Amino acid sequence: MSTVTLAGINDLLIRLFFRDNASSEVASGLAGSDGLYLFIWWVGVFFFVLLMGLMFWFCWKYRRRPGVAPERSSSHNTALEITWSVVPTLILVVIFFWGFDGYLRSQMPAGHAEQIDTTALMWNWEMTYDNGGFSAETVTMGNKDAPVFYVPAGQPVQLRMSSKDVIHSFWVPDFRTKLDVMPNRYTPYQFTTEPLASGDPRVKTMDITKGELVLKDAQYRDHWIFCAEYCGDSHSEMVGVLRVVEPSVFKTWKETPAYGVIDPPDEVGEIVYKAKGCAVCHSVDGSNNTGPTWLNAYGKPVRFADGTELSQADLDADPFAWDNYIRESIILPHVKIHEGYANAMASYDGRLSDVEMRGLIAYIRSLSDTKPDTDEIPLYDFLNEQTEGEEVGGDTAEETADEPAPAAEGEG
Amino acid sequence: MTTVDRGLDHAHDGAHDHGHHDVPYLTPKGGPIATVWDWMTTVDHKKIGVMYLFAVLFMFFIGGVLALALRIELLEPTRVVDGELQGAAFAMLAGGEAAGVASVGSVYNRIMTLHGAVMVFMFIVPGIPASLGNFFLPLQLGAKDVAFPKLNLTSWYVYLFGSLFGVSSMLMTGVDTGWTFYTPYSTTTDGQAQIVLMILAVFILGFSSIFTGLNFIVTTHKLRAPGLGWFDLPLFIWAIYATSIIQVLATPVIGVTFLLLLFERLFQIGIFDPGLGGDPVLFQHFFWFYSHPVVYVMILPAMGIISEVLAVFSRKKLFGYRAIAFSSLAIAGVSFLVWGHHMFTSQGELAAMIFSFLTFLVAIPTAVKVFNWIATLYKGSISFQTPMMYALAFLFLFSIGGLTGLPLGALSTDLHLHDSYFVVAHFHYVMFGGTVIAFLSGIHYWWPKMFGRMYDERWSHVGFWLVFVGFNLTFFTQFFLGTQGMPRRYVSYIDEFTLLHQISTYGSWILGLGFIVHLFVLLHSLVAGPKAPQNPWGALTMEWETDPIPVEHNFRHEPVATHGPYDFEDVVPPGCTEEQFPLPPKEEVRTAH
Repeated sequence: MSTVTLAGINDLLIRLFFRDNASSEVASGLAGSDGLYLFIWWVGVFFFVLLMGLMFWFCWKYRRRPGVAPERSSSHNTALEITWSVVPTLILVVIFFWGFDGYLRSQMPAGHAEQIDTTALMWNWEMTYDNGGFSAETVTMGNKDAPVFYVPAGQPVQLRMSSKDVIHSFWVPDFRTKLDVMPNRYTPYQFTTEPLASGDPRVKTMDITKGELVLKDAQYRDHWIFCAEYCGDSHSEMVGVLRVVEPSVFKTWKETPAYGVIDPPDEVGEIVYKAKGCAVCHSVDGSNNTGPTWLNAYGKPVRFADGTELSQADLDADPFAWDNYIRESIILPHVKIHEGYANAMASYDGRLSDVEMRGLIAYIRSLSDTKPDTDEIPLYDFLNEQTEGEEVGGDTAEETADEPAPAAEGEG
Repeated sequence: MTTVDRGLDHAHDGAHDHGHHDVPYLTPKGGPIATVWDWMTTVDHKKIGVMYLFAVLFMFFIGGVLALALRIELLEPTRVVDGELQGAAFAMLAGGEAAGVASVGSVYNRIMTLHGAVMVFMFIVPGIPASLGNFFLPLQLGAKDVAFPKLNLTSWYVYLFGSLFGVSSMLMTGVDTGWTFYTPYSTTTDGQAQIVLMILAVFILGFSSIFTGLNFIVTTHKLRAPGLGWFDLPLFIWAIYATSIIQVLATPVIGVTFLLLLFERLFQIGIFDPGLGGDPVLFQHFFWFYSHPVVYVMILPAMGIISEVLAVFSRKKLFGYRAIAFSSLAIAGVSFLVWGHHMFTSQGELAAMIFSFLTFLVAIPTAVKVFNWIATLYKGSISFQTPMMYALAFLFLFSIGGLTGLPLGALSTDLHLHDSYFVVAHFHYVMFGGTVIAFLSGIHYWWPKMFGRMYDERWSHVGFWLVFVGFNLTFFTQFFLGTQGMPRRYVSYIDEFTLLHQISTYGSWILGLGFIVHLFVLLHSLVAGPKAPQNPWGALTMEWETDPIPVEHNFRHEPVATHGPYDFEDVVPPGCTEEQFPLPPKEEVRTAH
């Protein structure tokens, strides 16, 4: 069999298995784990045909004839038995390492990812972008409306996922991976979108031409989002659409307020810090107080009073290790006591909204010197004018100008 | 094996009425009421086995009807049952709304949960060991009964009692947690009474499992007939023995886990609920620490049946007897170390790596078994009665089930396939294509010995082909649904999946028809089947040495093992002639090459 034919068969199989009709993933080669899947398929076909071939052949050749006895044969053959134990073992070892390698690759954080806060609840997905914006678009799916979330094409994206209630699971079949969404911690779902292909459809969306906001045709590609962990009555309607668009289209879309105004999370966080009493115990200038200071705290290893620590290794392994630590310390402050401080804080469980919690984490992060370079992504002038025109406080435009910073903070 | 009157059977059991010794166990004791009372209080492992058989088959029937209801709902992408009742399976909704519990939308979820819970806890876990195992383990050992007959009866009533809890939960509209009871959904969803009842049902059923397992372990150790060494045991015994070890060791874990779940639900003690400082993933660890080993409780007895049937119907000694026997024990051991592969999407990297590796480790003894079974056919004299047809179907379907486990054990592919229809298809190929198919093989194989009558071979072949074709149509399609992105436990789906779902549903109707044919064939056999000979298949294990319908104490004389269970090349089966089962010419002993 020539390689061309094999490749053709493989392509056919991939379409049969994964139903990628001319999507960019196929155009650019195999998505995610498809190579391993194909390998396992061929291993499986080989052994199945071999075993069933032998079975049918024996059944035909040695079928019972009246008066004919079975032939004598050995019921044991050490060489044969060792062979059929060792050969499958070797193949399994290959599959194991291949699968493990792919798994590690999928878990590796991509630098400069677009970070999106993803909240699961019975029975919907919500996404909040790093500027505090969110999606108000929906498409009709069956008898419900599914939310549409925009992501930029050809760029890494990192979702910080958490659940409001039970365990859910975020699955985009086109990306070949899923991850559980937990009620008690943040989990990271990472992917890099393929660039748009010429065959992809177009949608009316807002874009900028020569600094002007205009309605125009933009290319897009949609991916289904399914909840994959059973979560009750409308589990099967907990679906969404991930819409991949050109980065410039994405940027405009993200910064167009869904209704009225976008509050940058770190700005929200600063208000919460002052208004909800955090400032009583935590300083933001490095000075000592009842609680540890927030200045330059985010992303650094922490030692706890009971001898455990949030180590650099923990931070490397989980991109949201510090986010989880903040969240846990707000809800269950007695669990991890910072070394050198007393167990003095009361629980804020139920006293902060999602927006406030998200804001506090963004604010604490903004106080850290681990903040990466902020000089990419210039902001379009018209947006400054637009927000100023809406009179949302004098410093909004200024803050908005700063706010691409968190966009780049997925790194590390 | 030959029966030798060693003058023993008159020397013991003076307490029993000797008149009963020589009466077939099915012969009624007096009038109807006396007979019913006799069955209700019997400590005869055969009667308990038969009662278990009908009970688990009844549960299989309930679970099957629920499954057909699910498939009907999935004929169309949107919800079919949305505010209106469709068929008897959905009738429970009426009661639910009256009780103010079930919303219309949760009907599917309840049926899905009950299908899983009934099939797992009330059918497939007790299934083969409690019915066929109970009946044939002592017979194959040449024993008069299990080691603890009264414990056996207790186990049966505990099973009934537990099932009663489960059924009452169902009659009260059931639960919608999924059979896996994942927290925190299961601790927060509506329906306190039903969930508590269902949890208690599982808790109680666990004791039935433990009692039966304990009984079988002791029986195998202590009650083997003279001359029957460990490596003369039929492989069905080895399989049941390994199964029993898992049941005794793993079942207490699910008992404790479900008690914790109950306390969590009733008293909010904060073990699994993150709001109270608990960890929801902890429940998954506890749950799968039991529920993965239990997969082997389901499949090992099935493998035992297949070993028996393949040897008998191809008249060959099983290839690699010791490898099969030891692989049962190896599987039982390693099965305790692989629970984490159900949780690749909810745990850390190191744990995922270890569990993936161990999962592949458990695949090897399983593969070795399949190779041995197929090698057994070599140079045999193969006949194709119903038990053998099912045994061959087992090899076909179980191979698919095993091979489709590979992309689920490998980490990167599992991230895609986890909780998709691929998993559903995979475990139905293993549980249905493996266990249920083997159960059907075993029922047809031992039917003549249990009830003393033959069944219509031609019609049961019709049933076989309907089951085989229907099963593949139902579940093979689901592999492709899974890879294409269809998640588990969805009542509605995107339009692209419609065709495959429809094929699957049509397949389920053919499958159901196959079972109806089998039901009628077996009922007809009970009423009007021709009397069975002592040993219709020419088998060499001890259960075929006794009467066509075994007498109360199994054997008229204490049996003594004089040959191995699969020495078809040297021994004319008891109750048969050499014309029926000719032996190959004697040869010089050849060395194994």
